[in-house]
Amino acid sequence: MYMTGFGRHSARVTFFLALFITVVAVHPLQAQQAASQSQETQQQIEALRMRLDQLDREAAAIRDALSRLALTTQAGKTEADDLTTVETVAANPATSVEVPGDPDASQSPGDGSLDPQVIANASNAGASKVFNPDISVIANFLGHAGDTNSFDPRESLSLDEAEVAFEAFVDPYAKAKFFFSASPEGVELEEGYATFIALPFDLTAKVGKMKALFGKANTWHPHVSPWVDQPLVISGFLGGEGLNDSGISVSKVFPNSFAYTEGTLEVFRGRVDGVFDAENANDLFYNAHLKFFRDLTESSNFELGTSFARGTAERSEDLAAAGGSNQFAGLDLTYRWKPLSRSDRSFIGRAELIANDRSGVDGNAFGFYTAAQYQFARRWSAGFRLDRAERSVDPSMSDRGVSALLTFWPSEFSQLRGQFRRTEYGNEQTSNEVLLQLLFAIGAHGAHTF
Amino acid sequence: MKLKLALTALVFLTLTTNAHAAKLKVVTTTADLASIAQEIAGDRASISSIARGYQDPHSVETKPSFLLQLRQTDLLVVVGLELEAGWLPPLLDQSRNQKIRPGTSGYLDVSQGVEILDRPTGTVNRSMGDVHAMGNPHYWLDPANAVRIAIQIQQRLGQLDPSNAAVYSSRLGNFKQRLNEANKRWTAQLAPYRGAKVVTYHNSWASFAKRYGINVVGYVEPKPGVPPSPSHTFQLIKLMKEQRVKAVLVEPYFDLKTPQSVASRTGARVLVLFPSVGATPAVGDYIKLFDRNVSELVKVLR
Repeated sequence: MYMTGFGRHSARVTFFLALFITVVAVHPLQAQQAASQSQETQQQIEALRMRLDQLDREAAAIRDALSRLALTTQAGKTEADDLTTVETVAANPATSVEVPGDPDASQSPGDGSLDPQVIANASNAGASKVFNPDISVIANFLGHAGDTNSFDPRESLSLDEAEVAFEAFVDPYAKAKFFFSASPEGVELEEGYATFIALPFDLTAKVGKMKALFGKANTWHPHVSPWVDQPLVISGFLGGEGLNDSGISVSKVFPNSFAYTEGTLEVFRGRVDGVFDAENANDLFYNAHLKFFRDLTESSNFELGTSFARGTAERSEDLAAAGGSNQFAGLDLTYRWKPLSRSDRSFIGRAELIANDRSGVDGNAFGFYTAAQYQFARRWSAGFRLDRAERSVDPSMSDRGVSALLTFWPSEFSQLRGQFRRTEYGNEQTSNEVLLQLLFAIGAHGAHTF
Repeated sequence: MKLKLALTALVFLTLTTNAHAAKLKVVTTTADLASIAQEIAGDRASISSIARGYQDPHSVETKPSFLLQLRQTDLLVVVGLELEAGWLPPLLDQSRNQKIRPGTSGYLDVSQGVEILDRPTGTVNRSMGDVHAMGNPHYWLDPANAVRIAIQIQQRLGQLDPSNAAVYSSRLGNFKQRLNEANKRWTAQLAPYRGAKVVTYHNSWASFAKRYGINVVGYVEPKPGVPPSPSHTFQLIKLMKEQRVKAVLVEPYFDLKTPQSVASRTGARVLVLFPSVGATPAVGDYIKLFDRNVSELVKVLR
């Protein structure tokens, strides 16, 4: 009220001064007065102009001081203030960048009276860096002890991977993410894509190089995986690096009252190590995923997903026939329990089943894993996993494994995991191994999707 | 001619009223903001919260069901100061709702207009634990800040739904009045214990303590978000004996083991103080939350 009042007043002063100047300036020209008189008028005009400038500056200074005063004296008042005054100060864009200088200025009055105004807080911390992407580095340090495993050879100690992630909005329509993986084999772009979030009809789209949305385990980065290794069915069927290729992914939510329902269609270039190999440019690989999620109770929920992927099979030394199709059908189930009022108990049960039909192979190969994880303290969880998978190129051979896990989270940004696993590879080899993992993250790594 | 004009006006009026007939859908991240928004909106908007009052607002699971909740939302009200940093951004990205993105009129970060304590000065890094780099986000536990939150919600609601602006404005006045009366009561109840020394589990009570002159001398957590360690607990016991601390205040979602052992060795009493509306069914709104917390606090400080 003070400010607008003063503003109006100063505007009126400015108007009359301007009018006066105009009259004074125009009058001598029309009257054709003596030169000395005109000079005198010029000086008067100059003086008035300076005075006007000075007044403007003073008005601005007073306006500033008033807004500061209004901000710093809010808590000391006892009688009801005019609500409109409060709103004007809070809504004034000129004051929204002002910081209330003295935090002690708003001491509680002690008599319990309460009539504070909104404090306009500055929110420009690190404003100069605001357009830099969020950067994080996640290290995956692995240890191995026990039997030598020729199917899954591991070093005794190794920094298996340092994942460097960049994330930022491209513009109002898209958000981009890049994951570079630095490992002893070199640096590669693991994923790099833009997600278009402003599409109509409940659609989102991803364009770039990315992990295919096939089941659950295929989509995880090492630091979100609950295990040190990959289940046999994932590494055996989907290749050592998983289904990860350049392509386009479109997903849509189908609103209904029964369950959160999301369908995804993806098309990729068609080259995945050990799985797909496009012999010509039309040999794309397609993936479809349908996901249902439903809260069972406030603290438990259930997720069911089905996936189907098809592409041109990579030539395999083990197979006489070349090319042809390679198809996968998958089913994934996840049950989660987490009481909202406790931070030290939770349970997750999961299972994933995949069938693989590869041309040139007799019959289909089946595989699955089932796993559970129980959090028994704020920073501790224990789990197990059962694995079984027929060989993708020879379903008459099958591998099986059993694992026990213990995970300790010193903080949100590091985890230490031990896994004992016993694996029988057909009738060729049985290995008992202990795998150790230390994951640690620095930087602004965003939260993960569920 | 006049009749035609009147008819046109009537049709126009009906159309515009219909356009405003659908209630605004407001989603808040915490139950406290929902309670304050409810005070302002009454029955003119539908209000729901993502986090429950008995849940740690730092760690909420990003469930797809929340995406459905956010999909049709007109206004999202958040605590800000990175309290929701661990779970809100992916929900927003997947919500398929452009109306509630930060920077739009459907996104309201009420920390912009409240008094914030514990703003770190100098550099912040994670060796200090889960420190909030922008200041203490538990600011809603000062009734003065509740008024500031209410003002911001009222202004934004009025902007989004001008037809009900007068209602929001008068409900704000009513809420301020009732909160003012209640706050006088709470201040009087706690007046004999001004300067009383307490220990809290997490640094959730800075704004509350400042308002009522309670002196928080230590924390059960050695650093924010870091669970109690034996050496820190030992130091804390020593400190509590020296300072004659009377109470250990714990949020309902933390383990009571360490607070109880500390209390038993120092003669202090453990009190589960509720940081949020809805922590139990009895504390269903903001004023009831304070009624309960203040009366329980008086009992242990006595």
